[in-house]
Order: sequence, then structure tokens, then C-alpha cells
Amino acid sequence: MSNEFYIGYEDTPPRSLSRLLGRVALGLAVILLVIVGAVAASQSPAEPGNYDFGVEKSFEGILVEGALPLLQVGTAPGAITNYLLVGSGKFGLPIFARGHGGEHVQFRGSLIQKGDAVMIEMNDPTSFAAVKTPSNEIASDHSIGPVSLTGELVDTKCYFGVMRPGAGKVHRGCAARCLHGGVPPGLLLRDSAGNALVVMLTGTGTSKLDLDPEWAARFIRVEGQLLMRGNVPVMEVRRLELAD
Amino acid sequence: MSDHYRAIDWNRQKRCYDAALAGLVVMGAATFLGVTAWVSPESTAETLILRTTSVLAFFLLHILLAIGPLARLDPQFLPLLYNRRHLGVTIFLLALVHGLLATIQFHALGDENPLVSLLTAYSRDYRVWSDGRWQLAHFPFEPFGVLALGVLLILAALSHDFWLKRLGAGLWKAFHLLIYPAYVLLVAHVAFGILQTERSPVYPILLGIGFLVITALHLLAAAREKVRSTTAAAASSEGFVPVGAVPSLEEGHARVLKVGRQRVALVRHQDRLFATGNVCRHQGGPLGEGRVVNGCLTCPWHGWNYQPEDGCSPPPFDEVIPTYRLRMIDGELWIHPVPLPTRTASTGVALPENGSNPQPKGAS
Ligand code: FES
Repeated sequence: MSNEFYIGYEDTPPRSLSRLLGRVALGLAVILLVIVGAVAASQSPAEPGNYDFGVEKSFEGILVEGALPLLQVGTAPGAITNYLLVGSGKFGLPIFARGHGGEHVQFRGSLIQKGDAVMIEMNDPTSFAAVKTPSNEIASDHSIGPVSLTGELVDTKCYFGVMRPGAGKVHRGCAARCLHGGVPPGLLLRDSAGNALVVMLTGTGTSKLDLDPEWAARFIRVEGQLLMRGNVPVMEVRRLELAD
Repeated sequence: MSDHYRAIDWNRQKRCYDAALAGLVVMGAATFLGVTAWVSPESTAETLILRTTSVLAFFLLHILLAIGPLARLDPQFLPLLYNRRHLGVTIFLLALVHGLLATIQFHALGDENPLVSLLTAYSRDYRVWSDGRWQLAHFPFEPFGVLALGVLLILAALSHDFWLKRLGAGLWKAFHLLIYPAYVLLVAHVAFGILQTERSPVYPILLGIGFLVITALHLLAAAREKVRSTTAAAASSEGFVPVGAVPSLEEGHARVLKVGRQRVALVRHQDRLFATGNVCRHQGGPLGEGRVVNGCLTCPWHGWNYQPEDGCSPPPFDEVIPTYRLRMIDGELWIHPVPLPTRTASTGVALPENGSNPQPKGAS
């Protein structure tokens, strides 16, 4: 034990203690660097995605209500892009847009995008207008067949770009809240190389999927009819159960 | 010291401590952000803030918990203890940013009150036994964080000397022991939260190492505390009990003696030995680990002073600690375990000139 005695309210500590304190601070800095660096480096990378937060663009197309609200936008003669529709915050199709299924509408909103999946956050009620009524929805379903899939139940708004990462246990409370609020559910599938694909889950026909929001971020097994609704993979679910 | 809490001025040491602390926080944040920008460039700003604040708060909590036992094991670490409350408040502030942002980000703007949602978003998984098996991995991690943040809030609010004075050292200290349940809660928060999301083995390994280091330091410090014990059976008829051979003590030094169930500070001052209570009136610091400075036994924690003869703080302060009678019988030191009446001066027991190992003497 050193012969020097430390008294905190004095202006300077004994010299040998000053030296020791310097060394302690340096040691702590090194430990901090190593540990914080290791923690940061061990994170699994958040997947790319985009959310035009605070940026609104104009959209125009045919509103499809029903089990999976969409905006069908003709991009070229005979070609359409289906934009998934959600409200602001943790909500699905906003009230101001409901009841306009099959109508030609225009509005402003923020784009959410991950890969081929595109979604619009309809956050500006004042800009919403049904400009021509009625229009005909363009039939775009292409059936693939009955399948059984297992993956993580996600809320697609967060997963497609609002939150990165927007899946997993840490995000579970948020995902449950979003599913509760009507954000369309998706099944997150990964292959062994880590490539991810989200299949939108709906009920059969025009019925919404009856799903427990508390299953968010858990693994579920789903059976049903897989189809492509234009650019959007969709599964009309007949049966689903927890799989973890 | 007694009528008011004594505000300790901002001195150079405190400024150095705070500067070092701020430096560590800034450096840690820069490291985390820099490495994350490299390994996970797509992370959102909210994710970065949530993770940076949590990693720093949890790291600093380990440092805070290590300081106590380190200072017991080696007094050279005492300066770290002196300003420990600034470290504690920093941890609380980091945790507060983390908790508030997580609540807003994950639970606001939905169809439920965010504070209710925080605790109930997937409430069915509070049932850890369902469908005939344990479902521990799905248990909500949020309540552990909420409870820990509540404890940190209480401790941060009580950290001021005003509350120390109001509650008294014993109760104030007892409150601050809540930091241990808070640590356990945070281990659970991490284990049920990010450890269920991130799959790298680095996380459980670091968590385990942290837990082992903190536990080992506390066990070591407790073992070191085992000071010499006395046997009550050997008590003399006058009530003195022997405490063994006179320990060799340098002038101005002190040590802790265990007498029955109580601890006593044995002090060498002007070649005499004095015995006083071991518990500082400020925050219960171990006076037996202090030194005599300017004629007063000085507490190793924050430097409160007591005269070894009568246990009184020098004027204008009027704190007082108990003093005890000592005797030297056949080279053995004896102590009377009942303290002298408050403020009674004792002459202590003389040591032979120039010697720290006194010759046998008769009485105090
Ligand atoms: S405990 Fe603070 S000075 Fe003794």
C-alpha cells in the first residue's frame, strides 16, 4: 500500500496517485475501446431499406381495398406496380381512404421501399381526392399454388424500411403494436445464404387475416395459396400456427 | 457537518474526474458509431442512439460496481470512489435517453398508450409455462429495463448530500444498495432482449465475463474484510477483551479491528494508540482505513475529520463518533467493547518511544 493518503476535497491528489489515476483512466479507455468495439462489430447488419421520412410525393392510381390495401399504378401500357398502403404511425389504411375501393385516387405520401417491395405511408389527409369514379381494378393475380411456409411474422411497414432493423425480439413490442393497428402482416423468409423475402399474409378472398398480433416477431408456420399480385408476393392463408 | 449538508466545492480533482468521464463517454460513443457505420451502415439514427446509450450505460455500470470492492482491496483506487455519484448520474442519464427513445420509437403513435403498450404489447408471454413446456425465450424484456430505470432514477435523485443528511447515512446507504438489484434487472433486460435478437456469441460471453468480474471482486473484498476476531470467552472481569498482540502500525496510520460483532478503528497518533468507532458519520466510510491528517483521523472516502482522543469533529463541526478504552497487558492489547460516554476524551495507550511494537504495560 502506498504511503500517500488521498483526500478528495483537496485540490490535487498526491503525486503518485495522480500518476496512478492517469494510468487507470488510460486502462479504462483501452478496455472501453475493446469492449465497445467488439459489441459494435458483432451486430448483424441491418438490411437495406428506405423511408422518405418527412418527404412527401404525389401518387395517383386505383385504390384497392379489401384484405390487402393497394394502390395500382399503371407504369407502362399493360404494366402496373402495386404499392402497399398504410397510414401514419402504427396504423394500416387510414380512415380517410376507406370506402374508396375501386376509385381512381390521388394523394401525397411518403415512400417506403425495400427491394421490389414498395409501400406508401398516407400521412396527408388533406391531399386525398377521388378524381375519377369508378375505375376498374386491374386483375393482376398470378396463382402459384398451395404451399406451407415457416418464417418470422413481421409488420411490413417497419420491416420494409421505417425501422432498420425492423424485426427480431427487440422490435417485437413495436411489431405487435403495428399489427394491432392494421399494418399488413408479412412472413419473413430467409434462405441459407441470408437472402430475405417477405410474403404478405391475407385471409382468403377479401377477408382480412384473423391473426394474433402478439405472435409478432415469432416464428409461425403458414399454409395456404401462394400467388403474385403483380409485383407483390401474397399468401391467402388457410391455417397458421406458432412454430418456435 | 451536522446542521447542514456540506457542499463540497468543485475542485480540480472533481473537474479532472468529470473530464475523464466525459472523455470516456465521448470516446465510447464515437467508437460504437464508427464501427456500426462500417458493419451496419443501414441502421437508422434511432437504432444508433438506442444502442450507443445502452452499451455505454451498461459498461459504465460495471465500472461503478467495480470501484467499491477495488477501493477496499487497494486504497489507491479510493480517488475513483470519491466522485462516484457523478458516474452514477451519468449512467442514469444515458439509461434515461435509451428508455425514453425506445418507448417513443417502439410504442408511440399506435392504438395504445405507449407506457401501457411498453409493458403489455405481448403480455401473454409473461406466462413462461404454456402448451406443456417452458417458453422462457419469449418473455418480455421491457419490464426489466423499466424497473432498473426506476431504481436508477431513485438513486440519482437521492444522490445529493441534501438527501444523505435527511435520510441519515444508514438509510441512504441502504437505498444505494439497490444498485445491485438494478444490475441484476439489467442483466435480465439484456438476456431477454438483445441476446434473443443478435446471435453473435460475443454478447453472452461479454455479459458472463462482466458478471464474473463483478462477483469475484466483491467476494475478494469481502474475504479481505475478515479482520481479526476476538473471543468473548477471554473477557476479563472488568469487561475488557483481548484483541491479540499489538499490531505494528506506522505513525498516523489506522486499521480496522473486529471486537465481537462491531468494528473499531485503531489509530496510532503521537505514539499512542486510540480506538474509535469505525463508521464515518458521513456515509459510513471505514475510518480504520483512514489516516491521521492535521491531528484528526480522516475518513478515506470523503475526508471527514475526527479527533482520535474524543471522537469529535474539529470546530465548527459537531459530528462525533464513539471512543473506546484500551489496555496493554503483557504485550497484548485489550479493549473495552462498551464505548465511553460521548465526547469523553481518552488518553489512549502509550507506545514505547520509537517503536511500533510496544513493551508490556499495565494500564491505559
Ligand atoms: S464516508 Fe464520506 S467522509 Fe466518511
